[in-house]
Amino acid sequence: MLSTDIVIEISRLTKQFKDVLAVDKLDLNVFKGDVFGFLGPNGAGKSTTIRMILSLISPSSGSIKIFDKDLLTSRREILKNVGAIVEKPDFYNYISAQKNLEILAKISGKEVTGKRITELLELVGLQNRAGSKVKTYSHGMKQRLGIAQALLHNPELIILDEPTTGLDPQGVKEIRDLIIRLSKEENKTIFLSSHILSEIEIIANRMIIINKGTKIVEGEVGKLLNPNVLKVSIEVDNTETAVNLLQTTVWVKNIESVSGKNINITLEQNDIPSVNKYLVENGLNVSALVPVRSLEDYFLSITSNTR
Amino acid sequence: MIFTLTKIELLKIFRKWRTYIGFIAIGLLVPLLHLAMYLEGQRSLELVTRGLRDSFILVGNLLNGYWISYIILNALTIHIPFLIALVAADLLAGEATAGTYRLLITRTVSRMQIVTSKFIAGIIYTISLVLFLAIMSLLVGLLIFGTGELIVMRPDAIIVFEKTDIIWRFILAYSFASLSMSVVCSLAILFSSLVENAIGPIVSTMAVIIIFVIISAFDVEILKAIRPYLFTNYILNWREFFGNPLDTGEIIKAVTVLCAHILVFFTATLWIFQKKDILS
Amino acid sequence: MIKYIITILLTFSFNYFSQVNKPEPILEKVKEEFNKIEDYQVDVKIKVDIFFLKMSDREAIIYYKRPDKFHIKSEGFALLPKEGLNFSPLELLNSKYTAFYEKEDTIKGIITAVIKVIPLEGGTDIILSTLWIDTKRNLIMKVESSRKPSGNFSIDLDYLKTSEGYFLPSSMMFTFSVDRSMLPKGFDIGNDSESVKTSTDSKKPKNGTVYLEYSNYKVNKGISDEVFDEKLDKK
Repeated sequence: MLSTDIVIEISRLTKQFKDVLAVDKLDLNVFKGDVFGFLGPNGAGKSTTIRMILSLISPSSGSIKIFDKDLLTSRREILKNVGAIVEKPDFYNYISAQKNLEILAKISGKEVTGKRITELLELVGLQNRAGSKVKTYSHGMKQRLGIAQALLHNPELIILDEPTTGLDPQGVKEIRDLIIRLSKEENKTIFLSSHILSEIEIIANRMIIINKGTKIVEGEVGKLLNPNVLKVSIEVDNTETAVNLLQTTVWVKNIESVSGKNINITLEQNDIPSVNKYLVENGLNVSALVPVRSLEDYFLSITSNTR
Repeated sequence: MIFTLTKIELLKIFRKWRTYIGFIAIGLLVPLLHLAMYLEGQRSLELVTRGLRDSFILVGNLLNGYWISYIILNALTIHIPFLIALVAADLLAGEATAGTYRLLITRTVSRMQIVTSKFIAGIIYTISLVLFLAIMSLLVGLLIFGTGELIVMRPDAIIVFEKTDIIWRFILAYSFASLSMSVVCSLAILFSSLVENAIGPIVSTMAVIIIFVIISAFDVEILKAIRPYLFTNYILNWREFFGNPLDTGEIIKAVTVLCAHILVFFTATLWIFQKKDILS
Repeated sequence: MIKYIITILLTFSFNYFSQVNKPEPILEKVKEEFNKIEDYQVDVKIKVDIFFLKMSDREAIIYYKRPDKFHIKSEGFALLPKEGLNFSPLELLNSKYTAFYEKEDTIKGIITAVIKVIPLEGGTDIILSTLWIDTKRNLIMKVESSRKPSGNFSIDLDYLKTSEGYFLPSSMMFTFSVDRSMLPKGFDIGNDSESVKTSTDSKKPKNGTVYLEYSNYKVNKGISDEVFDEKLDKK
């Protein structure tokens, strides 16, 4: 596959439960090798989307293509190369971790050796407790076992739904390191959902933010979350002159849009007074110069609203 | 894949302790019935043969393992459904409760395979429970009470079967009982596919059986008309194997009706499960 | 009460005509003949023909010891009419009775005396028995009894001469009325409507027969009392 190959291609995906529109015409693309952050507040439709990707829930409309195959028609072929943790890690509690993995290995669609199971248990640090029934496991241990089962059949795409929830800081770090390792060393594509922006910022290269089932923004993490670059909306009496003037300055990174008397630009925070002074000195009436809220601020506002 | 899945389902069934409730119940109940029969069996045998004893002298060992197994099978075919439902109702709902649907369905197995393997495993459990009942009541009964002729009281006749004419009847009767219990198993799985907790399906299965049995018991024309359509009406038809001559027509009809029920319950479960959104 | 009425009626109707043939000597001879037998052991084949009872032919061994000890031994289940096991002229004739000679009759080519016997003492359900007696061999060839409460029964007998020279039955055929009261009531709750239908048809009493075939008599060879110690009606 080429590096630009699309691993997950979701278009106009919609899920209508009885009276709740959980996912609304969602578009999303995950490329091979991505660590893709799937960000949204609780209840934004993340889990519903992940469940649709994994065929746990059938979409009301829209399409899901994975590895360039339609999920509806090639489900088993696709799932052979997908490993996942969906929400909290649940297992057959009355069976040992080892046996749980053996069972899942048998239905993973690929040959999984006993050696592979042992290796994975070592990888997640459960080799000493492999024979214990899962019901004796702590949440953190289950979470690690969850990772092990997702990697069992060496899938190309790994879907992790809030994998660090409920873990202590040490556990969170271990999982993050593991994800980075899987991405860098084994070149896995990772689809990572989270409601914590900082987590995505640390691990992901691309991301999407959704709220109320629809896309807010999608793009490269570096670009979307650059802390030094600010969006500012300037209100002037003559936009045409203003745009011409702004294009000649060194401070303005980009003129994003012009609408009515407003010009939206991106620039570094330190340069705001200089831009203001420059426009006024050139005879323009600047009636307002308002920093538009950053993505981070926006995200914080929607997550705090839902809590 | 079905074979692998069924093996996994059986492993899950027999690793759960609730599975053993049925075996423990039968393992305790049957010896208890044996004890009761040991103490009181003669009296109850005399009670049922009183009409005959008024005019005849009866000799021979009628209080034997066969007669006791017959009585036990008679008594328990109404109670075993509960033990079946206990396990079968958990087959799908249990995965929902435990959240393990997510492990299962995100693998390369189809939902049809999952349902099919669960039905097969559930029916294997059912058969093993009936087999255990057979071993407990017949083998242990024969050890305690010895063999003899089997006297069977039917509404229209008293039939005495030769020692050598009994075992095959029991084998077929237990097989038939397995079939009718498999219908109960299928019904419980069907209910199990609808919800995310095993209690509901257990209660519903038992409720259906109890309601059907009550309808069957009422001698009202309107209820009589629907009676042939109730599967509970056929649960006790294993007794047909203790007829002389065998009413093969009735047996074939009962087997057909029961098989049809399993097929309908299976298809319905499949249909529901194919469409089901896994939210647990 | 009924017994007395019948006695009185019979006294009037028969006594007058039957002066010639006194019944008592005939019956006494039968008793005497039978009293020659101290004990016997015999194989018996039992054929039951009752409409509601389905069972195959049975085999058993009957032991008898004078005066009234009986034992039946069977490998498996067997069923005998109560009157069939301990059928002996003694039972009827050892207690007080009134008897009347009725007529002469021919059964299977044998001339018999027909005698009516009314038991006068309690301990029996029989109200009236009619005996057909082969006066040459002093054997009862046929019995018809009225019994309370369960109606009439009859016994037809054939005899053989045993190797020891005694006449003992070679076959007995019991004919009696049966009805559904012999079936346990309310036992089979799950009965379907069809069998209930047949039950109403069969409420009327019908005849049933039990046919006993005797063979291999061993007479007066001595039988230990222990044989009879077991309860007659083996559990």
